[in-house]
Amino acid sequence: MKVYPYRRLTGNVSWRVVSAQLKAEGEPWEDVESKYLSTIERVVALGPNDDRPDWVQARLRLRAELPAKAVNSGDTWQDVRVVAVLTERATNTRTAVELSPVAADGRELTGELYLHRCDLLDRATLAVHVVATVDGVRGRVISTSDVEWFVDVIETAPSLARELDVKLLGFDSGASRLRRFKDSPWVVDTTGRLPAVRVNTDFDGLEGLMGGDGGNGAEKTVRELLLTQMCSDVWTAVFHSAVGDLEIEEDGTPLFPHGWQGEVLRAMLPDVYPDRDPEDALREVHAARMGSSAAGWGELQPRIHFAASKRAGVPRTLSTTIRDLERLTQGDDA
Amino acid sequence: MTDRPSHLPERLALLPNAEAAEFLTEGLLTGREDVQSLKLNRVTEPLPHTDRRGELLPVRDLAEDAMAYCRAGGLKATQADAWLAPRLHAALRLTRREAADPGFWNYLSLGVAPDYVIWRHLSDTKVAADRFRGQYHKQSFARLWWAAELFRDGSDYSPVVTACANQDIMNTALRMSVINHRPTAQAIVRLVAKSVITTGREVNALMGAVNASAATLMYDVIAPDVERESRPLLDWIAEAEYARQVSRQELPTGPEEEPAPELSVSALVDYFSDLFADAPVRGREDLEGTA
Repeated sequence: MKVYPYRRLTGNVSWRVVSAQLKAEGEPWEDVESKYLSTIERVVALGPNDDRPDWVQARLRLRAELPAKAVNSGDTWQDVRVVAVLTERATNTRTAVELSPVAADGRELTGELYLHRCDLLDRATLAVHVVATVDGVRGRVISTSDVEWFVDVIETAPSLARELDVKLLGFDSGASRLRRFKDSPWVVDTTGRLPAVRVNTDFDGLEGLMGGDGGNGAEKTVRELLLTQMCSDVWTAVFHSAVGDLEIEEDGTPLFPHGWQGEVLRAMLPDVYPDRDPEDALREVHAARMGSSAAGWGELQPRIHFAASKRAGVPRTLSTTIRDLERLTQGDDA
Repeated sequence: MTDRPSHLPERLALLPNAEAAEFLTEGLLTGREDVQSLKLNRVTEPLPHTDRRGELLPVRDLAEDAMAYCRAGGLKATQADAWLAPRLHAALRLTRREAADPGFWNYLSLGVAPDYVIWRHLSDTKVAADRFRGQYHKQSFARLWWAAELFRDGSDYSPVVTACANQDIMNTALRMSVINHRPTAQAIVRLVAKSVITTGREVNALMGAVNASAATLMYDVIAPDVERESRPLLDWIAEAEYARQVSRQELPTGPEEEPAPELSVSALVDYFSDLFADAPVRGREDLEGTA
């Protein structure tokens, strides 16, 4: 709970991305089909695909609604403005735009935010703040909407959760660093832009099993189980690599990393420490890792494992698998 | 000592993080061994373009000249930053999207100029691995490029020289997202240039205060920036096809973007000066309060 030295606006500011347009070099603006905007997932997907130009610039139309008290507050807040800010940590990009009131009552506002393809790598975050003059001080943030949108310039489907990047390749015949894993069915790579699984096609029969999506009931069942197990491996590896490389503030507070590592930690920590808020949980994990807390790093492992397998859906898939196996063997008996 | 790589291809390349790990040997980090450059160039990926700005030799020459410049002038290795940052930025001509690929920087540090990294960052007996492969504010070449990108004022690199001449700005301010707002970055540089802040403790105190204040005050509103345009940058990148090597004497010229609005920068200079006056600086006596 933060304490502010001035009156803040309670109640939420609702807002959304209404529509998007793209512009290719030397071409007019083109509308982005509404299927690329998800109001439920709060993602705009602007990744390249066949029916889309190779765009250089995008334009998002935003709409926000202020609570009534924001505009009739008497003298509490003057010069109330709504500002949308797009940020991407990977490119240190920050773009702010002020929205303008649609009608005289000033409660509904719209605006257009422009972004450039060459400024963005992957996923930018879009947030909305309400700013006012308070006690004579200009530019005070009196409210920040708890709704954030993502602008994704890689994916073509507007989805918050990203598909796991699974690549099939031969370890024995491929890059030298994979050769030492040639007897391993798969390895997890957490050093890239997104976590990835490399599946070893030199492992006899694995390619047929993983590559197909048909097969008989037993093959399907095993494939599901394997995928889930891979996911669980990925989340464990991702968690470890994210906490292994934390930026530490001068006072010893660990900071959430940028990009997907941060997202993963935020998603998993509630399962590692159900009774703590994420910042607190991160401090605890960091302390355990550095050996400066009562709970050692060893004690933490089952919790991390639990959070990873829960995230990967191991319990659900395993119980389905066991049921399927029962059915298959019943079929054999009949 | 780690030396110039024995194999230097014609073009720069990308060395993904996963591939880079193998070359970060104890022998390299202690400056005793060379990088196995033939092996390294077998696991790189080509740049996604064939522009002239992808040529390797101009970048290699710059790193060598930065070392020569310091040796000739009897300067410390840290003083290479202010000389190299604007020139590296002007030689590479990257978009931010390109600069966000760690593979690009891994290749510069391990494939092009590992000897520079050792020369610049060897302290005690070892260079930290993140000087070769690390975050943008730590990696030896990425930190220079990003310092130039975030502190330049449109086409003017002189604020970059001021920022990079101060190691505390490089170590503290560069990693803070508050400087992604151009007028904020320019105001901070101006306070350094005017010697309002000089010591490391003062830089830390100022940055702490600027950061804390940004939680309740929106600098974008009290000090607006101009709308960002990509055209000047893309034109500048296209010019790389026939541009000369960057001058070793004169400061280069960046993309013809509009500078940060003067009104906004000076408003923040005033505001930050007040913040700094009230900020607790470790070791600074609070003389006003005792009168």
